[in-house]
Amino acid sequence: MERRSDQPVILASRQELSPSCFALELLCPGPLTATPGQFIMLGPTAGADPLLRRPFSVAGVGESPRGVLVQLLVKEVGKFTSLLRRLPIGSELSLLGPLGQGFRLLEAPPRPVLVAGGIGLPPVLFAARELSQRGIPFDLFYGAASSHELLLPQEVKRATNGLAVFCTDDGSFGEQGLVTEVLRRLWQKSYSRILACGPTPMLYAVAQLARERQVEAELSLEEPMACGVGVCLGCVVRLHDGSYVPSCQAGPVFLASQLAERW
Amino acid sequence: MVTVVQLATQVGSLTLRNPVLAASGTFGYGLELVDFCPPEALGGVVTKGLSPRPRAGNPTPRIVETPAGMINSIGLQNIGVEAFCTQVLPALRQRGATVVVNVFGETEEEYATVVERLEREDGVAAYELNVSCPNVGKGGMEFGHDPSSLDLLVRMLRRLTRRPLWVKLSPNAPHLLAVAEAALAAGADALTLVNTFRALAIDAKKRRPAVATGFGGLSGPAIKPLALRLVWEVHRAFPQAPLVGIGGVLTGEDAVEFLLAGACAVQVGTATFRNPAACLEVVQQLQAFCQREGVEDVRELIGGLRWR
Repeated sequence: MERRSDQPVILASRQELSPSCFALELLCPGPLTATPGQFIMLGPTAGADPLLRRPFSVAGVGESPRGVLVQLLVKEVGKFTSLLRRLPIGSELSLLGPLGQGFRLLEAPPRPVLVAGGIGLPPVLFAARELSQRGIPFDLFYGAASSHELLLPQEVKRATNGLAVFCTDDGSFGEQGLVTEVLRRLWQKSYSRILACGPTPMLYAVAQLARERQVEAELSLEEPMACGVGVCLGCVVRLHDGSYVPSCQAGPVFLASQLAERW
Repeated sequence: MVTVVQLATQVGSLTLRNPVLAASGTFGYGLELVDFCPPEALGGVVTKGLSPRPRAGNPTPRIVETPAGMINSIGLQNIGVEAFCTQVLPALRQRGATVVVNVFGETEEEYATVVERLEREDGVAAYELNVSCPNVGKGGMEFGHDPSSLDLLVRMLRRLTRRPLWVKLSPNAPHLLAVAEAALAAGADALTLVNTFRALAIDAKKRRPAVATGFGGLSGPAIKPLALRLVWEVHRAFPQAPLVGIGGVLTGEDAVEFLLAGACAVQVGTATFRNPAACLEVVQQLQAFCQREGVEDVRELIGGLRWR
């Protein structure tokens, strides 16, 4: 069997998106294929600070003459994300992945509705791009606190043929209100499944809406993660049978119906 | 410069092909990381702690990174000894991995149940008794902190098996030397030093502990000097006792330090979380160190610390 390993990648570009968020492109010399909802573990190539890699959901994968470009959207929340924001372009990082179970795009009956909140955009944007490419019709709702916090609105429009519904809590752009409230208001009977990533309260609301409308929801969860490959058991999520499963392998995308009662 | 380095080592009567083992709780049951790090290439793999029945483990959050380390409180989530025997052990055996089974119980009887079940299976090289987990309510640390409880536990298990019994000790024990002495006197073949340090990380904004159980166990490079000190102290007190050193090993040179402090072998734990091939890389770096430094046999290093 071929040995799997991490691979060195180059920080190819960085784009500021909001006061706290930025986009990165990583150039991978080796082959890399990812599906929407999968993640990578990223860390420095040397040194023990930070000690552990950090998980990042993949926002997109593209080809370039020099190799595969992996797009990430990052929110500065701590030591490593702060480092990523200052790291010179051309720096080397170490990437492990892609990992995990993504959205079940091919299983999803038409017509899925995609929901993203804030920095939860990456897997949803990736899924939108993939669905567009396959010619599968879908709708997309994207919410943030204010217009300044809406990431990559042009890319979101492009991936949805201009049909994305934007929402802001303060009404500074698009519909006013929480994205889940707007979705409830504009719900269409043709919606067959919800694919969502965002803050936990948003995901609770999505799961509740899915139950009410009797559709399945696929939720991309975020848990603190040490290894990303199923051995630390730090990132576990509780299922309805009471068992804990590692979100790095059983997830990070879970069916809401699998999850413990609180969902 | 030495071209051929003898990497094989002995932990008591058990020969390991090299001194690097994957630590319990960081390498699954031995097969999870085969694509990154074949278990048969290591000195051995120590399984996730096994209890008589499956355990769900602790609520979340369970982990947090701290300076040069991490705190975990997993709570010994495991599939139980029966599933290990039927679903995992045959494949490990077939690969030729040296398997050390980490054993956990809430009571003496539970430890015995696990060992008795494993006695019916081939392919177990040794048992490592977890008497030092800081993250469970019952069992574990109770035995590791009290020499007389540990004495009874080890004597009872000693009667059940001829396989090597390693006892993984807690650095949180108030009198580690007394606990070590009790384990050895009761028939332990080796001591694993050390499990995680009980620790607390605080989320200042939430004013709450960072892991759900409050306290957790600290591992990683932050604890290496503490672990080295304990290995050296136990080695000095019991120079004949085989010791397996563990605590913050990231590199081959870290492994060398534990050998110099008196360990016959080392375990690599948290390093595997940052790099699933870490154990293999430690073996390679250890070999390279020996080549550079003219060490023909890795056993020359054991206890070789020049204290003064």
